[in-house]
Amino acid sequence: MLEKSDLAELRRQEFWSLLLAAPVYAFTVAVCRWRFGYRLEDLSAFRARLWEELGEFDGPLIWAANHLTLIDSFLIFWAVTPWSKIGRSKRIPWSTPEYRNYYHLGGWLQKRLIRALMYLCRCIPFLREGEDEASVRWRETVFQKCVQVLKEGGSVFVYPEAGRSRSGWLEPRRPKDFLGRLALEAPNAKFLCVYLRGEGQIATTVYPAQGERLRMTAELIPAVLPGETAARQISQRLFDKLGALQQDWFSRSALAKNCGGNDVVDLKSPLAREHFDEESREFDPEWTARHLTAAESKYLDAQPPAKRFSTFWKFFAAKEAAHKALAQSGIWTPTGGFWLLEADLFRRKVLHRPTGAQVSVAFTDEDEDKVHCIAVLRGGYIGDDDSPGDVLWGVEEVPQGRSPGEFARERCLEFIAKSSDDISSAATLAFTEEDGIPKVLRGGKTCDWGVSLSHSGRYAAYSFMAS
Amino acid sequence: MAFKRKETVIEAIDLNTITPEDGEKRITAGVKKYATNEANWSNADANTPYLGSIIGMGIESSNLADITMSIERQFLTKRTKRVPVSADGSEFKLEEGELGKLRILDGQDALAATPGLSIKMLMDLGHMPKNNAYLTKVVSFAYITTVGDGYKLSDALKKMVGKIEKLAGSERDEAVANLKAMTAQAKTYLDQLSDAAKLAASRQKTFAGDKAGYDSLSKELGVVTDKLKGLSASGDAAQIASLRAEEAEIRTRLKMSAAKLRVSEEVARQAGSRSAVEEAKVAEIKRILSETIAAAERC
Repeated sequence: MLEKSDLAELRRQEFWSLLLAAPVYAFTVAVCRWRFGYRLEDLSAFRARLWEELGEFDGPLIWAANHLTLIDSFLIFWAVTPWSKIGRSKRIPWSTPEYRNYYHLGGWLQKRLIRALMYLCRCIPFLREGEDEASVRWRETVFQKCVQVLKEGGSVFVYPEAGRSRSGWLEPRRPKDFLGRLALEAPNAKFLCVYLRGEGQIATTVYPAQGERLRMTAELIPAVLPGETAARQISQRLFDKLGALQQDWFSRSALAKNCGGNDVVDLKSPLAREHFDEESREFDPEWTARHLTAAESKYLDAQPPAKRFSTFWKFFAAKEAAHKALAQSGIWTPTGGFWLLEADLFRRKVLHRPTGAQVSVAFTDEDEDKVHCIAVLRGGYIGDDDSPGDVLWGVEEVPQGRSPGEFARERCLEFIAKSSDDISSAATLAFTEEDGIPKVLRGGKTCDWGVSLSHSGRYAAYSFMAS
Repeated sequence: MAFKRKETVIEAIDLNTITPEDGEKRITAGVKKYATNEANWSNADANTPYLGSIIGMGIESSNLADITMSIERQFLTKRTKRVPVSADGSEFKLEEGELGKLRILDGQDALAATPGLSIKMLMDLGHMPKNNAYLTKVVSFAYITTVGDGYKLSDALKKMVGKIEKLAGSERDEAVANLKAMTAQAKTYLDQLSDAAKLAASRQKTFAGDKAGYDSLSKELGVVTDKLKGLSASGDAAQIASLRAEEAEIRTRLKMSAAKLRVSEEVARQAGSRSAVEEAKVAEIKRILSETIAAAERC
């Protein structure tokens, strides 16, 4: 329960934010339009469609959106709210920005100006980290304030992913429970699901690039459906809806949606062992320094001697596969730029250090002979112990006398055809390349399947995304 | 324990005592064991790509570092004096010093896609004297990749034509639709190749993307710097330490982003002008591709 002082504080903030809503709105829109040059595509039609539903709904509203930059809340509020609705206090959402991200920015004056702006934008600072009593109490108070706002028929804006997406992809199969919990406290509420993104937004950034044209899609859905009693159930439905909006956004985008990669390494190839000393079970440090970052080398050194050889090649395969997935999104890594990628084999992630984009990886075929890795930046799920994911792959031995590259291409098309009832035979498909990236043609059209090819020594491997 | 190399002992030679042509031959010989396309390797010249099997030597990506290490093993240089460029000494540049082992630092070999470009890299880094007469024979990285794309397109088209001849009915119709799309793509490529400015414009897109990434990271650094400024009076030592670590990580990433930006900037610049040897390579691939397009259109 909230203390009286908390409630009074909430009322005071509501009063001031409503009183100054018009100038604050004008200021933020002016900054977005003229300082950053942002444009919102098809804005009038988007608002008209949305307010047709929103105008008739008087109950509490939970805004839920994808999260790529630090100023998404301003952009989404601008996209959703026309001038004519600025006076409707219950439709101005309360937000919960991370305290450490916003409340200590800059020197004495800048800090106070930002805090004032956040106050007027109805922000309730949230503390994500910390398990001490004060931090836990802080989080609980924020949650109760959000509940209070909703119980009074107001609006709350929360990012369901709880942070900016490092891959630039909202993954529906990894729901977080916070919004489900909130919805259960206000079952008559509705979720306003928004997906907003620009064509130039590949990964997480502080702001969208100057002059970015942002396109949005939105839908209003019930917060709790009859029979829903668990927070996870509600969150999963919400994530599925946001996932569908994301699919819709990408269906009208020039960006490739499916960005996947793969890489196979023949562990028995003599060249793979060239820099490995069988007695000491160590790699030539000069060789590893050309491939691994300091953190990766540390991990490799910590491995038991028997595992070092395969661990090195797992790093290599993960980086190669991630490099291919990144290339499909337009993030280019120079040839041999292993130092620009950092793999975390425990978390199964590869970080592209210049952009901060994060790729998920998984090892699918791993034995004494070979290691095969698949990677997904966006477009689908890489899979886990419970779910097979959206990537289909094959690893095969190359027959004697065949060109490994050609064999991989041929088998990949046959595999795609075999995996789909709609494709009569591999002959109806063809490989082409766009900017050095392999693409499959079907009926004369390029398919967005995130296809990837690899070969090493005796093996050829291929993968594509069925999402 | 010192690592014992298994390969044959190579007598390294001072880069200042050999001609670029000799250096090029040694570089090509040094990568022999990694080349999977023996014919292309045997006929390799300054402009034969290390990677790729159609016109390249067929070296696999897992042996990319071996190319650089092979060059390092074969040559000696006077640029051996390490001069720190970062406060902690972790980063350095190489200046004139005693004759010693050649060292190619991270990212310096990003454009060294052929033996000729490897020699150019050694000249650019001051390991061997600049020889303009030799450099006129070297095709730039931008044109090596562009011409390579043309050969891949031509190869894919030829194979598609061969495949279609064996098909009938609806399968053939679908394959012909694919062939038409590939032919259109090849024509677009030829159109782009007809004018250096058009090619430069397309490479400029990659540069613009990298530039946007660099700018975005600079902003990220600005935010962390602002947070540190705001927190400095608070005395929250743990939070300040965490932000300092974040700041250091972003600075490292920014340096990497700058290195990547230099590469794409160089490629965009190279694509905008053509030397005589590049004109000849472009003319050759235009001829080959035009013939393949003609064969495809007869299908």
